[in-house]
Amino acid sequence: MSEKTLMAGNIAIAEGAILAGCQAYFGYPITPQNELLEHMSKRMPEEGRVFVQTESELSAINMVYGAAASGCRAMTSTSSPGFSLQQEGISYMAGAEIPAVVVNVMRGGPGLGDIGGAQGDYFQATKGGGHGDYNIITLAPASVQEMMDLAMLAFELADKYRNPVALLPDGFLGQAVEPVTMRQPVTEFPDKPWAITGAVGRPKNIINSFAMDPVDYRPRVELLRQKLIKIKRNEVRYEGIALDDASLIIVAYGSAFRSAMTAMKMAREEGFKIGIFRPITLFPFPVKPLSDLSQKTRRFLVVELSFGQLIEDVRLSLGTGAQVELANQFGGVPISADEILEAIERIMK
Amino acid sequence: MHEEIAIGGFGGQGVLFIGRLLTEAGFREGHEVVYMPSYGAEKRGGTVWCNVTISDERIGALFIARPTVAVAMNSASLSRFGQTTKTDGLLVVNQSLVPEKVARHDIDVVYIPANDLAAEAGNSDVSNLVALGALLACRPVISLRSIHQIMEESLRKKQKLLQMNQKALEKGYGWTQKEYAGRVSGLKAVVNHVRREDAG
Repeated sequence: MSEKTLMAGNIAIAEGAILAGCQAYFGYPITPQNELLEHMSKRMPEEGRVFVQTESELSAINMVYGAAASGCRAMTSTSSPGFSLQQEGISYMAGAEIPAVVVNVMRGGPGLGDIGGAQGDYFQATKGGGHGDYNIITLAPASVQEMMDLAMLAFELADKYRNPVALLPDGFLGQAVEPVTMRQPVTEFPDKPWAITGAVGRPKNIINSFAMDPVDYRPRVELLRQKLIKIKRNEVRYEGIALDDASLIIVAYGSAFRSAMTAMKMAREEGFKIGIFRPITLFPFPVKPLSDLSQKTRRFLVVELSFGQLIEDVRLSLGTGAQVELANQFGGVPISADEILEAIERIMK
Repeated sequence: MHEEIAIGGFGGQGVLFIGRLLTEAGFREGHEVVYMPSYGAEKRGGTVWCNVTISDERIGALFIARPTVAVAMNSASLSRFGQTTKTDGLLVVNQSLVPEKVARHDIDVVYIPANDLAAEAGNSDVSNLVALGALLACRPVISLRSIHQIMEESLRKKQKLLQMNQKALEKGYGWTQKEYAGRVSGLKAVVNHVRREDAG
């Protein structure tokens, strides 16, 4: 009938990674991400590639570090508590400028939390998460199609900037099944002259994230800083829906955005002119596109599955002139369109 | 076309299976679809649910708050769907396991002895397909033919199970048409739908 197939979000990430040429996968099971790891355990050997179920998330991230240092495309996937464990490794990779993809299918927290979907790891993903000055590019899919597409983009951006990239869906999107248009496999890959490949016929490459003397390390960190400026300039992605006549703009990502879409439809039937702004890159955050919108309307409603993390970036982008309200859920519970509609009615009246 | 279908029951009743069938059928018939299952610690005997949205527009929410169509395979599901089913919606109740009645006049309610009819079809385990047959008899959201086709493909290697499922589906469909003819608002449309299929 068509080139589309039905797929669960977690599976779409796995297939996207394979299409993007991921050569090595390392991971440790955790709900609601397990289908991803399970699918990779079958598909990676089929493709003649590496799959390792590690003894912990710590070894997974450090195996990713090692594999990616050798120049191959490598990834791990986990859910929130595992992502916390991996922060040290991510910081090391950022310091050593190693490209890799880390998938965090977010669940309820803090602590071991629960297995529902959540967005409480927004700060952790977008503000560094580990120690030191760095950021990782953070991509937020809002459909199963985007689980595949952004997984592929994650590998591309990781190589382009020699920086770790996080894919940050919530657990609900990992479980949801939707039609997906299959993409073509990536066939061209960038050269990696910096990789550790045996040093035959060339000077040796050294990969680390350490220098005893700040005089030696600071120039490297300065390069990281310049790289982040470039990323902020070039890689902002977002989607706008019905913004032209909107007198209230919802800002949301992931499954919260999906509920917001339904709420927008209901609200428009009631005569409220609602638009939606969806950041696709959470880092770099679409600061300018959002602040430009405040020329049109001064009312914004942030919808997210956390106490209020996205809302801080929204407030920073909009400045003090805008009215920024919050409609949220947390602890592994989805937000319903009704809850969002109530918030809309409260603000618009 | 925009239908929001919620199905609930005990783990082991095949709630997720018929949800997947509806999703796959909606997808093959060219609609937008979203399937959202409960997940995690389900086991035989625990309560399981799934949401299936079939639409001709880009679908928003993954979760359904007020289903247009609901199937309650156990009492826990009925106590939920009995309240949340949308006005003019359809609620299919597995009367074999659910003694409760719904005190609402703004929705169509079909009480079907799904386990008993399934037993007549060969095995009470296929009560899910009986319920699906009842659903499609009242609301032809997708065609019976699509369901048959998908089952034939997915159960190709399990012929006995396939036949039992097919029998159960037809049983639920036929029983509902017979018992509820004229009493459920969707049925008139169904009869036309079936005639069209026969003609085509």
